Amino acid sequence: MIEFERVSRCFGDQDALRNLNLTIEQGEMAFLTGHSGAGKSTLLRLLLLLDRPSSGDIRVNGEPTSKIRSRMVPRYRRRFGVVFQDHRLLFDRSVHDNVALPLVMAGFSPTDAARRVRAALDKVGLLPHERTNPAVLSGGEQQRVGIARAVVARPEFLIADEPTGNLDPQLSSEIMSLFEAFNQVGVTVLVATHDLPLISRFRHRIITLHEGRLAGAPVE
Amino acid sequence: MVWLAVAISLALPGAMLLTLDNLRPLVPDLERPAQVSVMLGGELNLEQAEALQRELVTWASVEDTTLVRRDEALAVFGEQTGLSAVLTSLDHNPLPHALLVSPTAPRTDTALSQLVEAIGALSGVDRVIVDSQWMSRLDQALLATERWGLALGAAMVLGAILALANTLHLAIDARREEILVVRVIGGSPGFIRRPFLYTGLYFGAGGGVLAGLMLWVLSLWIAGPVNALFVLYGSPGEIQGPGVGYVLALIALGAGLGWLTSWVASACYFNRLAAH
Repeated sequence: MIEFERVSRCFGDQDALRNLNLTIEQGEMAFLTGHSGAGKSTLLRLLLLLDRPSSGDIRVNGEPTSKIRSRMVPRYRRRFGVVFQDHRLLFDRSVHDNVALPLVMAGFSPTDAARRVRAALDKVGLLPHERTNPAVLSGGEQQRVGIARAVVARPEFLIADEPTGNLDPQLSSEIMSLFEAFNQVGVTVLVATHDLPLISRFRHRIITLHEGRLAGAPVE
Repeated sequence: MVWLAVAISLALPGAMLLTLDNLRPLVPDLERPAQVSVMLGGELNLEQAEALQRELVTWASVEDTTLVRRDEALAVFGEQTGLSAVLTSLDHNPLPHALLVSPTAPRTDTALSQLVEAIGALSGVDRVIVDSQWMSRLDQALLATERWGLALGAAMVLGAILALANTLHLAIDARREEILVVRVIGGSPGFIRRPFLYTGLYFGAGGGVLAGLMLWVLSLWIAGPVNALFVLYGSPGEIQGPGVGYVLALIALGAGLGWLTSWVASACYFNRLAAH
C-alpha cells in the first residue's frame, strides 16, 4: 500500500504538488493522469525517493519513507520495478544482459539470474531475442524489454512513466494488457499516462492530477 | 597515454630516490664521527698527557680516550708515508702527544661542539680537530636532495592524479545513461562505482608497472659509467637497480592512486548527478 499524506513539493515559488492525499491499495492497478506539469513526474520521483517532499510524508506498506536513510535508498528502490517512456535500455549489451541488470545488483547467481531473465522475456514474448542487441528491436519490442527488466526481480510495485508515449494504439493496448497481467498476479501497478482513450478501455481507477492536486479535491 | 603519464610521474621521483639510495652506502657512517683528535701542546711530557687523559675519562660526555704517544705517532706517520728514513734524520720529534676522545652517544652536533669547546679550554691542549664538517655538509646535501626529491615527487604525483582524474571522469561520463538507469532501479553507489574503481586500478597499476620498467632500463643504461666511477673512487659498491620490492611499491602506489582517484572522481560525479 502506498499512502501520500499531505505531500507538497515546491520548487521556488512553484508548487509541483500541493497537499496531496492519495492511497493506492495493495494489489491495486491505477492510472495516474493529468496535463503536462500537473505533477505526475514529481509524484513518481518522490515515490522512488529521487526527490524528497517539501512537507508531508509518503508511507509504503505503513513505513514512512522520510525515515529511510540515503544508505538504505537503493534497497528501497529495488522494491519497485520502473518502466520509462524512453525505455532507457543500454545498447552496449544484449537484451538478456539488460533484463538481468536488477538481478546482478541484487546479487543473484548467474544461473539463477539467467533462469529468471528467460522467464521474464518469455512473459513479454521476447525469448527468441534474448541474445539480440536491443538497438535493432522495434519501439514496442524495446518497451517490452524495459518491462521485462522492471519485473524480473519480482518487485512489489510496478511504476510506469508514460510507457506508451511513443507507441501506436495497438502496441499501447498490448503494453497495458501486459501491465494488467502482472497486476493479476498480485503486483501493485501505477501507470502515469495522458492517453485517456486508451485507459478508458481498462476498468481501473484513474487518478487525475490538476495543478499539483487531485482533480476534484477541495482547494484549501 | 594515461599509463605513460602515470609512469613518468612515478618514475621521476622514483629515480631520484633510487639515486639517493645508491649514494647512502658511500657515506660510511652518517652518525657523527666517533672520535675527536686532541693535539696536546709540544711542551707536555708523557705524565702530564696521562694525567689529562685520566681527567677526561671522568667526564660524562666522554666515553673513552686513547693516548697516542709522540714516538708512536712518528713511527706510524713514517710507515704510512714512507718517510721513515727522512724522519730518523730529524734531531727531535716534531709531533706532540695526542688523545683520541670518543664522545658518549648520542653524538649530536651541539653536544659535540660543546665537548670540543670544553676540551679546547683545558690547559696544555693545543688544538681539537673534529673531522666532521665535511660529513655534516654531505649529510645536509643529501637531506636537501631528498627533500627536493620528495617535493618534486609530490608535484609529479599530483600530476598523475590529475591525469587519472581526467580519464576517469571521461570514463564515468561515457556511462552516464547507465548510471542514471541503475540508480533509479536500485543500484547502490558501491555497485555503480565498482567498474570505475577497477578502471582506476587498471590505469594506476599499469602506470606503476611501466614506471618500474623505466627505472629498470634506466639503471641498466647508466650502470656502466656509474660502476666505473665507483671503482675510480675506490668504492667496492655497484649500482643497485630497482629491486623487486621497489617495483612492487611503485605498482602499489600507482594502484592506490588509481583506486583513490576513481573513488573521489565518482563521488564527485554522483553528487553532481544527484543535485540535478
